[in-house]
Amino acid sequence: MNILVAEDDPETAAFLCRGLGDAGHQVHHVETGAEALAALQSGSFDIAVLDRMLPGLDGLSVIRGARRGGIVTPALMLTALGRIEDRVDGLEAGADDYLVKPFAMSELVARLNAISRRRQTGDVVTTLTAGSIVLDLLHRETRIAGRLVPLQPREFRLLEELVRNAGRVVTRTMLLESVWNFHFEPQTNLVETHMSHLRAKLAAGGAPAVIETVRGAGYRMVADA
Amino acid sequence: MMRSAAYRIATIYSAAFVIATLVLGVAVYYAAHVALQTQLDDRIAAEMSSLVSEYRSEGLTSLKLVISRRELARATNDLGYALYDPAGHRVAGTLSARRPALGWSTIGFVDREDASDVARSFAVRLDGGERLAVAADWDELEAADRLILTILGVAFLVELIIGGIGAVLLGAYLRHRLSGISGAAEGIIAGDLGTRARVGPRGDEFDRLSAALNAMLDRIGELLDTLRQVSSDVAHDLRTPLSRLRNGLEEGLRTDPGPAVIERAIEQSDQVLSLFSAILRLSEIEAGGLRQAFAPVDLAALVRDLAESYAPAMEAAGRTLAAHVETVPPVIGDRELLAQAVINLLDNALAHTPVGTTVRLGLAVGGGGTVLTVADDGPGIPEADRDRVVQRFARLEASRTRPGYGLGLSLVAAVARIHATSLVLGDARPGLVATLTFGAARR
Repeated sequence: MNILVAEDDPETAAFLCRGLGDAGHQVHHVETGAEALAALQSGSFDIAVLDRMLPGLDGLSVIRGARRGGIVTPALMLTALGRIEDRVDGLEAGADDYLVKPFAMSELVARLNAISRRRQTGDVVTTLTAGSIVLDLLHRETRIAGRLVPLQPREFRLLEELVRNAGRVVTRTMLLESVWNFHFEPQTNLVETHMSHLRAKLAAGGAPAVIETVRGAGYRMVADA
Repeated sequence: MMRSAAYRIATIYSAAFVIATLVLGVAVYYAAHVALQTQLDDRIAAEMSSLVSEYRSEGLTSLKLVISRRELARATNDLGYALYDPAGHRVAGTLSARRPALGWSTIGFVDREDASDVARSFAVRLDGGERLAVAADWDELEAADRLILTILGVAFLVELIIGGIGAVLLGAYLRHRLSGISGAAEGIIAGDLGTRARVGPRGDEFDRLSAALNAMLDRIGELLDTLRQVSSDVAHDLRTPLSRLRNGLEEGLRTDPGPAVIERAIEQSDQVLSLFSAILRLSEIEAGGLRQAFAPVDLAALVRDLAESYAPAMEAAGRTLAAHVETVPPVIGDRELLAQAVINLLDNALAHTPVGTTVRLGLAVGGGGTVLTVADDGPGIPEADRDRVVQRFARLEASRTRPGYGLGLSLVAAVARIHATSLVLGDARPGLVATLTFGAARR
């Protein structure tokens, strides 16, 4: 992907450029809000990573300006402010996701993949498929090779998230946010327990080892399961 | 002295009274003066009409006779008479004055003590061209006026004196009462944080103000203590993972740092970061700004959902989660914070109980509102420690070796506070029961 990075702190910027470059993306780095807005308006980027506190025009204003100008490039807001209100502000301004510094590179990459994918699938889908697994989103049913696999509602949501991002890493925090709507870390291994139940049920239904654990990052649905 | 509000108020108050007295005095003076003068004029007019009718019926000679008879009866009659012939010579009466003008007038005359004096006079022209004047001495009127003015003056003076003394006394009293409060404030400024304002036994405005001030100071004192405790606890809790991190990195430097060493270092820094996130989140909740985004929350659906999510995790850890959730009216609040409070209570129940424990999650409508309970049949918390565990960084084991930073219950308590309720820890016989009671939905 062609990624625009707007970040004024040189160290964070270097970390971003190196990390995203290593993940196989082209990175264009700007330091001010005005440059970021101009770059977004050029329309030559697939996705943008915006720091919230940019010199001149701040990140919120950049994203607001871009959205007002009809630019739909997916954007992720980076911020040192972790407050609940700040997150709400960022999303309301038009950002697709919000990540609090300090963050792990694997988390950022996973989230960028997810939001760019979300934008691509604009149509309303009622069925998701990954290999032999078919999810009927209307009836909340899962079938493996045509046979119904009974899943708990949470397990279904978990599988849905993984299948939507098949082949890409989905992090624990992303799952907590999307499946449980939690923006905090419970101490209990909520995700792990549900994941092990889901895996057991999928294995019993005939699809073993379709969910990989990616050490230090999260989970991945095997693309051609 | 005018820089003292107490004196100023007392002075203004006295001045208001003095002015009121002056206005009243002037009104009394004026009314009395007019009344007396009318009375005098009436007497003169009545006398005149009786003399004129005497003249008309009996003639001039008889009139002269009547006049001299009236003047002889001075003891009972203080009116003066004068009858002038058409040429202007006095022919009867002893009123020693120049011939008065016709009608009402004020004249000068010489009284019986040969002093010149002022009188009220009424003169008419008789049918024969003579002029008859009847006059009355002003003395009575003047005496009454003087009396009133004297009383007024004395009252004015007395009031000034009472007002002045009152102002000084009231001022001194107010200063005295306020000095208790300002004394406390000065003590605190000077560094003695334990100083408190005197609270008198009467329970008046000053006592109530002092009591409120003391309560505020107590709260500030608690906050300062918390701040002090928190800073030292944060330092303590950070030192352990940071020194482990440092030792690990040092070891990695000596040997060839494999991915395991680096991974452990990342894990340890994550621990430090998660402590900071927890502290920041707690501060955000305690600041109360989130209250603006409060909306009705279906607590029953939320708790059912959490119970469903948590049951597998509890089972995996060898505990049982039993949920009993009734449908309850919506609670005004923040869904995510309420969820986090319930999760923290469940996390706590999981972390501090032995394998085999049953954790009961309940939601019901009870006395005083919607009652949320998380109970376990584990070892419980001794009554003496229950208040302490809710404080930040409080942990029951002094060695602080178990995982967690002792922020879980503080966060629940903070969430409870911004939802206008409180976290109550009790004895589940056996075990611990944590209760949150939400009032009827209101903003």
